Amino acid sequence: MRNAQPMVVASDFILDRVRGRSLTPLLPLLPGLLLMGFFFVLPLAAMLVLSVLTGSPLAGERVGFTLQHYGKALFDPFYIRNLYVTFKLGLLTTVATLVLGYPLAYQLARIRQPRTKTLWLILILSPMLVGLVNRTYAWMAILSDNGLINSALRWWGRTGGPVPLMYNELGVVIALVHIFLPFVVLTVSGVIATVDPALEEAARNLGANKWRAFRHVTLPLSMPGVLAGSLLVFSLAISSYVIPILMGGFKVITLPIQIYEQVAALLNFPLAAALSGVLLAISILIVWSYFRVMKQMGGPVGG
Amino acid sequence: MSTRTWDDYLLTAVNLVILVFLVAPVVIIVVQAFNAGLFLQFPLQGFSTRWFEKFFKTAAFMEALRTSFTLAAWTVALATTLGTMAALVLARVRFRGADFLNSLMLSPLMLPGILTGLALFQFYIVIGWGRTFPGLVLAHTVITMPYVMRTVAAMLATFDRSLEEAARNLGANEWRTFVEITLPMIKPGIIAGGVFAFIVSFDQFPVSLFLVQPGIVTLPIEIFNYLRYDFDPAVAAAASISVILTVAVVLVVDRLIGLHRFARL
Repeated sequence: MRNAQPMVVASDFILDRVRGRSLTPLLPLLPGLLLMGFFFVLPLAAMLVLSVLTGSPLAGERVGFTLQHYGKALFDPFYIRNLYVTFKLGLLTTVATLVLGYPLAYQLARIRQPRTKTLWLILILSPMLVGLVNRTYAWMAILSDNGLINSALRWWGRTGGPVPLMYNELGVVIALVHIFLPFVVLTVSGVIATVDPALEEAARNLGANKWRAFRHVTLPLSMPGVLAGSLLVFSLAISSYVIPILMGGFKVITLPIQIYEQVAALLNFPLAAALSGVLLAISILIVWSYFRVMKQMGGPVGG
Repeated sequence: MSTRTWDDYLLTAVNLVILVFLVAPVVIIVVQAFNAGLFLQFPLQGFSTRWFEKFFKTAAFMEALRTSFTLAAWTVALATTLGTMAALVLARVRFRGADFLNSLMLSPLMLPGILTGLALFQFYIVIGWGRTFPGLVLAHTVITMPYVMRTVAAMLATFDRSLEEAARNLGANEWRTFVEITLPMIKPGIIAGGVFAFIVSFDQFPVSLFLVQPGIVTLPIEIFNYLRYDFDPAVAAAASISVILTVAVVLVVDRLIGLHRFARL
């Protein structure tokens, strides 16, 4: 990221050519770069431009600069509500994922037998082989009013209607936690594995009990992993679409759902672009923090 | 080493519960696919293959399965070719801006898919493409190319370049050196990247959401559309089949090259 300046890159290309240095070794990069330029950078830039225009330039209207779409996206109570729900679900998911993921990560990092470790890894990673939509379906089969849990409760003699486990925020969070748990376990476990167990033993030899030794030695040393894992989960959770819509049944409207609705149902492209701009800004901020944390740890950068 | 105490067993017990939470949905899908009843209810209603029959007899599912496969095949071909070429240049040619271009080309990994999807959808409308199959292929290529770049870069990081020099000294030209030395050495990286690209494309949802239309609907979108209005266990059969396909691809490739080498990626 030393030269994170497109203009510097472009001018260097030209300078190299002027100096007579061959650009042939760079040629194989060109197809991929063109693809990224035309089908990633340009569309995103166009979307951001659209978010500050009064109308579509294609419709031939007189278009001008405006911040009204961002004003609506950030200050209209209706859309603030979406933002609030999105952040709340993101935070709940992050906290729940950490609470469930930390003990698993701790034990995984401390398993010494390679075979046992492989078995645990397979179990932890196996849900990732099942597609996103398919896993959401499984949670619908478990949590719906006619699903596994409610029918079991009825069978055991519970009366008074089903327990509402989905089509609400609870259902969304359960499914989100399930999707992101493996990411957190792997991230945190990698950091805990770098904490020497001898440090904890030393604390115990000095008279600390097991819990105190863990709380004052391993836990603080693993905090960068916890932070990195949290950032990862939070950014994935707030940009998730499938789970909030299927598990929330249109009763839980998050930012990504609102973005899609603005396009698909209302054809309001500029507002969708502004809402996307907000989500993009939040995502970039989180990704930037994530890389800072990873850099400070000096560990491998995962994505 | 300290002896096991009650809190070790408590930790293991808690973790076993968490593992059940992780694995349960996978088991549930398979149980539901073979369960006779419309809903997965306790106690179970008996064994049946009717949902698999329904899946294979539903034209929309078959069409979507075909679309997803064709799409994944095109995506893997393009992403591995372009990604490998890009990774080779970025890993080996030193030029100012290489780091920036590398970050740029890996950035689709970090960006929410829904934004990539919306941006591309708007862009396709602007340039007059609309929703087309080639547009979908290029979108999937953009989001899967970073996986190939990372796996190939991982191979190049441990690559012994003196082998190439030896080949050159023995009289092989640049192209022959590439085909006979470089390519075989980085092949595991290319294949692993291709597998990632296949799995990601086959399971891709948010980008496809904006770009599909009747006739070019992918399997995850078709399943999603079913689930929005209906609760049909044929979906469990579809899910079981895509799980089997994914596991088969991973196992075959693991046999060929050993995926454990990329476990850290």
